[in-house]
Amino acid sequence: MGILKVDRLAVLLASAALATAPLLFDNTYAIGVLTVALCFGMWSASWDFMSGLTGRENFGHSLFIGAGAYTAGFLNVQFGLSPWWSLAAAPVCAVLFSLVIGIPTLRLKGPYFALAMLSGAAVMQNLTIIFSKYTGGQDGLNGLDPMLDSPLAYYYLVLIFLIVSTIILKVVANSTWGTILRAIRGDEASCQACGINVNFYKIASLMISAAFAGLGGALYAHYQLQVGPDLFAIVLSINIIIMVYVGGLGSIYGPVGGAILLNVLTESLRAFSEYRLWVYTLVLIFILFFMPQGLIAPLWRRIRSFVA
Amino acid sequence: MRKNLLVSSMLAFALTITFGTAEPAMAQQAKPIRIGVNTAIQVQVGRDAIDAVKMAIDEINGQGGVLGRKLEITVADEGEAATEGPKVGIAAVNKLTSDEHVDVLIGGYDSGVTLAELPHIARAKTIFLGIGSASPSIQQKVKDDYERYKYIFRVNPINSAKQAKALLNFITGKLKDDLGYTKVSILGENAKWVQDMVPAIKKGAEAAGLQVPIAEFFDVQTADFSPIFAKVKSSGSQYLIVIISHAASDVFVKQWYDAKVPVPIGGIDVKSMDANFFKRVGGKSIAEVSANFVLRAPLTPKTIPWWDKFVSLYKRAPVYTAPGAYDAVYIYADAVKRAGTTKADAVIKELEKTDYIGTRGRVQFDALHEVKDGPGFVNELFVQWQKNGERVVIWPKELANGKMINPPWLAQK
Amino acid sequence: MVQILVYGAVISAIYAMLAVGFTLIFGVARILNLAHGSFYALGAYGVYTFTAVAHLPLWLASVLAVLFVAVFGMAMERVLVRPLRRSMLAVLLITLAVALMVEQVLLLVFGSEARNVPSMVNATYHFAGVDISAQRLLALLGGILILTGLWLFMQRTRLGSAILAISQDAEAAQYMGIPSDRIYSIVMGLSAGIAAAAGVLVAPFQTVIPGMGLLPLVKAFAIVVVGGLGSIPGSIVGALLLGYTETIIAFKISIEWSQIVSVAAVLITLILRPAGFFGKRAAF
Repeated sequence: MGILKVDRLAVLLASAALATAPLLFDNTYAIGVLTVALCFGMWSASWDFMSGLTGRENFGHSLFIGAGAYTAGFLNVQFGLSPWWSLAAAPVCAVLFSLVIGIPTLRLKGPYFALAMLSGAAVMQNLTIIFSKYTGGQDGLNGLDPMLDSPLAYYYLVLIFLIVSTIILKVVANSTWGTILRAIRGDEASCQACGINVNFYKIASLMISAAFAGLGGALYAHYQLQVGPDLFAIVLSINIIIMVYVGGLGSIYGPVGGAILLNVLTESLRAFSEYRLWVYTLVLIFILFFMPQGLIAPLWRRIRSFVA
Repeated sequence: MRKNLLVSSMLAFALTITFGTAEPAMAQQAKPIRIGVNTAIQVQVGRDAIDAVKMAIDEINGQGGVLGRKLEITVADEGEAATEGPKVGIAAVNKLTSDEHVDVLIGGYDSGVTLAELPHIARAKTIFLGIGSASPSIQQKVKDDYERYKYIFRVNPINSAKQAKALLNFITGKLKDDLGYTKVSILGENAKWVQDMVPAIKKGAEAAGLQVPIAEFFDVQTADFSPIFAKVKSSGSQYLIVIISHAASDVFVKQWYDAKVPVPIGGIDVKSMDANFFKRVGGKSIAEVSANFVLRAPLTPKTIPWWDKFVSLYKRAPVYTAPGAYDAVYIYADAVKRAGTTKADAVIKELEKTDYIGTRGRVQFDALHEVKDGPGFVNELFVQWQKNGERVVIWPKELANGKMINPPWLAQK
Repeated sequence: MVQILVYGAVISAIYAMLAVGFTLIFGVARILNLAHGSFYALGAYGVYTFTAVAHLPLWLASVLAVLFVAVFGMAMERVLVRPLRRSMLAVLLITLAVALMVEQVLLLVFGSEARNVPSMVNATYHFAGVDISAQRLLALLGGILILTGLWLFMQRTRLGSAILAISQDAEAAQYMGIPSDRIYSIVMGLSAGIAAAAGVLVAPFQTVIPGMGLLPLVKAFAIVVVGGLGSIPGSIVGALLLGYTETIIAFKISIEWSQIVSVAAVLITLILRPAGFFGKRAAF
């Protein structure tokens, strides 16, 4: 088997596994946990596309998530539009936000860029709380309509979006685009010297990253049926970075696996009651310390080398 | 060695079969009624709610249970709203309803989380007795869409809009009429329910003839209140009304005391409701007035015996979610007895007819499934910390049992 | 106004203590230590434990708390960080994991309710319209003393010179026989100790809860980046800027806006001056 065929088979198998997973449990709780995991998968994959490839770590990814989610909230709750409009409007809004924060921060690198993005998200979070009359403040916007009545059907909808998004992002990452983005990570000056419009690629990758994050935000909003300032929080951005890292930086599909793994893990540790987060952090330290390349992507590469 | 292993594993297997399957056989005779408690288990309010529910369950089971069935508790953590958002709470109620098939939910603490949980609870058609969240928006849903949200009840606390009225009452009745103050400032944390409350209180105070030079909000994570104390002092305010729930009122009170701010404070301070708050802040909450729902006082004949039993069982004084949680179990049990079934629709009809003397007062529900307040029902008391941590009720007049004092660095009246 | 001057100074001193430790370990060892807030929290909880549980006198409890946290910091560097030094992101994430772990352990051991640490001094001073507790003034004084002591240490001692050498050029320093690994440990201990000292000084008048380290960490990060990564004078200037901005906004407009304004100020500074005020390098 050639490398490409193995990958396609893997995608099919993974999709099949994710498609049958909820049927094994068949209760709203499990379906809900998996739906949330899929949303985190979209957020992680979109983060990896920009930050994993270009090396510009974005500590404010929640800005795009919150933008998408609140767009869904406003359209549905304030204006009474059907939830399906969110799917189109959320990515657009997120992309607008990415332009507002992305253009002024183009020349920033490393921790400077990270901090600028983090501040952007923090500013939005503060604004949503201060202008509570319009945004519902700390409690957020409530009573969003679900897109589909059956949680299981909605799970499949989100799954389809996730698979398609991941494939698109992976294909772009493997194309010339991806090579250029990785080159920018290596040596920006050389790229510029070669005549590549580095700024264009930086902004474009941020916009793409934002679009998918916003879309994920809207899907999440119509699952949770509520949006709040916690969707702009630093903690959310950092959790996503952890998921990407566990999955394998730069692989696009690895972060999806990392997101699903960590989300399911957090919930399955409920048996530990008040020790839940403690055990979770312990597992995290374990993974971060012993598997600095991540868990999912290196594992898949190992399997692939046996098969192909 | 191998044979030993084989024998012991066979033995273990046999034992498991015997005892593992024995339970279901017994339970088949009378399926227990399962009470799901969704709360933040790492916080005091959560732990006390769980313990209060356990206390009630043990008592009721000891008296034969409900309809011949025993009550059983199962707990699901809502997580910490500040860091995890409503995500964990929604998963919690989903787990309790669709995975563990509870008959009723008792819980709630953070209003944002509860509001987010409501559509999921309604979809699961499970009764929810709220014992911690105060936002009026929660019960408003019962009015807006009765068929969908009829499952939602609030046993405790009185909703924040009513709390605001009670607070305004305290301001005009005690501060203005009794003490003759003319300038009162307001400071609230920027939670939604406070942001809604403060303008209403300001308007009401001004309508009564008071001046409100400062009405400000602060972020929950504010660590330094010196600017606001300085501003309030410069404004010439004679009293500072505070509305704090999640934020660290420990620090607020300590900073107020340390700076010897010449303006007394009082209002709604959720942490100050704790019986050990005074000790926790090293006595620095002296003269602070805070609204409270229950203390060790004969609000009803049940209050003091209940308080003492809780303290003896759990070696700590209960916080505000505990009395409501305890009452909620009894209220539910009584409704089930009257309905003769645990089916939600029938129980809801009986719950609406509730007339129960609880630990905080007489509990009846209004059309929005809200606990009624007012004389004879559940009330908000204004309690002041006085010397040696003694708590004195200073408002409303009918229930007052002492005089209001000033902080030690101001002249006493 | 005197009020703004005095309150702003206290806040700036605390921020400076936090920022300086953070920038020190970055400047010397290129470690973005996300567990820095945990050192602060452990300092506060340390002094609480030694006074409330072990019943030691306050001054002894404070010293022990600082020492304990310094050792903890060194242990963390030795065990968890050093093996991962090749990857900056790995180090970042492992320190983050340590921060999460510390918070959970504090929550499990001490509970979620705020703990009370008694003040070292109990007087209150009233002057020029300022009402301020002696403890706050002590925090200000302590901050100034510690920072001065640090400056003297870096400028006047052999160890200090060694640290400065490594921060300028790690390889060259090693050629000169300076044991970089050992220095990293010492610097981490120093960084942790200063953060813990800040925690000890503010514990009587700040909230002592398990999550108390997060916001100070974010602020320290912001100050350090704005002041210039690895620059101690930059951190002090940044701390003064942030502290005074917050205080002025809180006084002139509203406490509510002071948080968002400081975050916005950070953002604007980065856009206008990408390397911070005193930053020599514009990248990792």
